Amino acid sequence: MPTVINPDAVPKSLVSELIRPSQVHGSLYTDPAIFAEELTKIWFKTWVFVGHESEVPEPNDYVRKQMATQDVVMTRDRDGDIHLLINRCAHRGLQVCDDQKGNSSSFRCPYHGWTYRNSGELLGYPYNKGYGGKGRLELGMGKVPRVESYRGFVFGSMADDGPSLLEHLGAATGEIDRLAGLSPKGEVSLDAGWLPHKTRANWKFLAENETDGYHPQFVHGSIFGVTGSPIGALYSDASTAVTRALGNGHSENDLRPEFRKFAEPMRWFGTTPERVPNYVAAMREAYGEDAERRMIEGAPHVMIFPNLFIAEIQVFNIQPNAANECISYATAVQLRGGAELNRRMISQSIGSVGPAGMLLADDTEMYERNQQGVSMLDPEWLDVRRGLVRETTDEDGFTIGAATDETGMRGFWKQYRALMEA
Amino acid sequence: MGIEMNDRGPFDIPDIGPVVGSEFAEISVNVDSEANSTRLRLEDLRTGRVRYLDPLELETIIWLADGHLTELLDPSADRWRDRS
Repeated sequence: MPTVINPDAVPKSLVSELIRPSQVHGSLYTDPAIFAEELTKIWFKTWVFVGHESEVPEPNDYVRKQMATQDVVMTRDRDGDIHLLINRCAHRGLQVCDDQKGNSSSFRCPYHGWTYRNSGELLGYPYNKGYGGKGRLELGMGKVPRVESYRGFVFGSMADDGPSLLEHLGAATGEIDRLAGLSPKGEVSLDAGWLPHKTRANWKFLAENETDGYHPQFVHGSIFGVTGSPIGALYSDASTAVTRALGNGHSENDLRPEFRKFAEPMRWFGTTPERVPNYVAAMREAYGEDAERRMIEGAPHVMIFPNLFIAEIQVFNIQPNAANECISYATAVQLRGGAELNRRMISQSIGSVGPAGMLLADDTEMYERNQQGVSMLDPEWLDVRRGLVRETTDEDGFTIGAATDETGMRGFWKQYRALMEA
Repeated sequence: MGIEMNDRGPFDIPDIGPVVGSEFAEISVNVDSEANSTRLRLEDLRTGRVRYLDPLELETIIWLADGHLTELLDPSADRWRDRS
C-alpha cells in the first residue's frame, strides 16, 4: 500500500517562493528568519570550509576559527589528528580559548579551572568532591562531528551524517588539484596569516560575486588602469574564457582558454619565466613536459559552495555573522617549493586585499551598497538571467556561459534552494 | 606576580629570563647553578611558585607516558583538590 504524504505536513521553506530561474527576491538578503533557516539548513549541515592544516603544523598547535556564528578552535592533537572544537566550556559556557593561536596539549577555562584535552575531552575539574569525586562528569567541549580535509583544506560539517566531503566537493576537487599542481611539491599552505574584513552585507552577495565576470571592468577599472593590468580583458565579450557551474553550487571562471591562446608561461601571474627562474626550474624538474601547461594555464578562480573562494593567488573564507553582516578572511596562497612566487603573492595580496588593498575595497563598496539597495521596496527582485539565452553544456556535462555571464550565480541558487527545501 | 603577554614569545625578560608561555600558563625557564650541580629552575609567573628539577627528574618527565602526563593535567590531581 503506497504511503500517502500530506504535503501540508512538510514545513515549507521560507525561500521557496523567493527564487525563480532568472530572479531572486531581495528579502533573501535581509530577512533574519531566512538567515536563521540558512544557519540550520546550510551552515550547520553541509560542508563548510574552516581553515588549512598548514595553520596547525605542529602537534598541539591550535587556531581560532569561525563557522558562521560558531567560535571554533581548530586543533592538531598529539597524534596529528585535526579537531574542530566549539569554543565553549561545558560548565558555564565561557569561551575556553582567548588567544587567536597557540600550542597547548590542553585548555583550561579561566572561570573555574575546568581543563580539557585539545581533542575536547574533559580532563578534570578543581575540588572534585563537589561533583562526587574524580571522573564523575562526562562533559566535554562541543565538537564539530565531521571533520575532513582535502589536500590540506579543512572542512567541517555540523551534521552527524550526510554526503561525504568528496561527494560535496565533486568537480571542485579538480580545481583544488590545479592549485596544488602549481607547487613543485604538489602542496599548498595557507599559513601567511588571515586578514579578517568585516562587511556590512549578506554573505550571499560575496559568494555570488566571486565568479561574476560581469563586474570587474567596472568595479576594478581604477586599479586595472593604474597598474596596467590585463585582467580586465579576460572578462569581456571578446574573451574566450567561460563561466562554469560545477554542480553542488560550485562555480568557476575558467580563464584557461585565454591563457592557452597566448601560450606564455606565467602570464597568468603577470610575469615571465625569466623573473622567477628558480620556480620555473623547480616546476620543470617536478613535472617535466607538463610543467609548461601548468604554468600557462595558471591557478583556478573557483567559488566552492558555500564559503571557499580560491582567487588564483589568494584564498577567501566567507563567514556570516547575521543577515546583514559577514566577515571575509583573506590570505595569500603559498606554494610549497615556490619561495620566489610566494613572496610576490604576499605582496600582491597586500596590495589587492590587504588593509589598504584596492580590490577588496572596491568589492566591499559594492556589497554594502547592494545591501542598502535590497532594503528598498521597489523593485523587489534581483535579476540573474544574464547569459541564459546562450548557455550550453560542455563535454563533461557542466553548464557553461560566456566570461561575463551569471551562470555561476544560477548554479549557486540551485544548490541553495535544494538545501533549504531538503 | 603575574604577567600577561599578548604576543607569545620568545621572551627573555631581564631578571626573569626566558619565558615559555601560552594563554593558559606563563613559566620562566632557567638553568640554575647554585646547587652542587646544575638543575632547571621553573617559575610559575602567575603565582610565583618555583620548582627545581634535577636531570633525573627531567629525564623522567621526558619518558613519562602520555596518559600519565595527562592525569597530572587534571586540575584536581594536585593543585586544586579537596583536602579532608
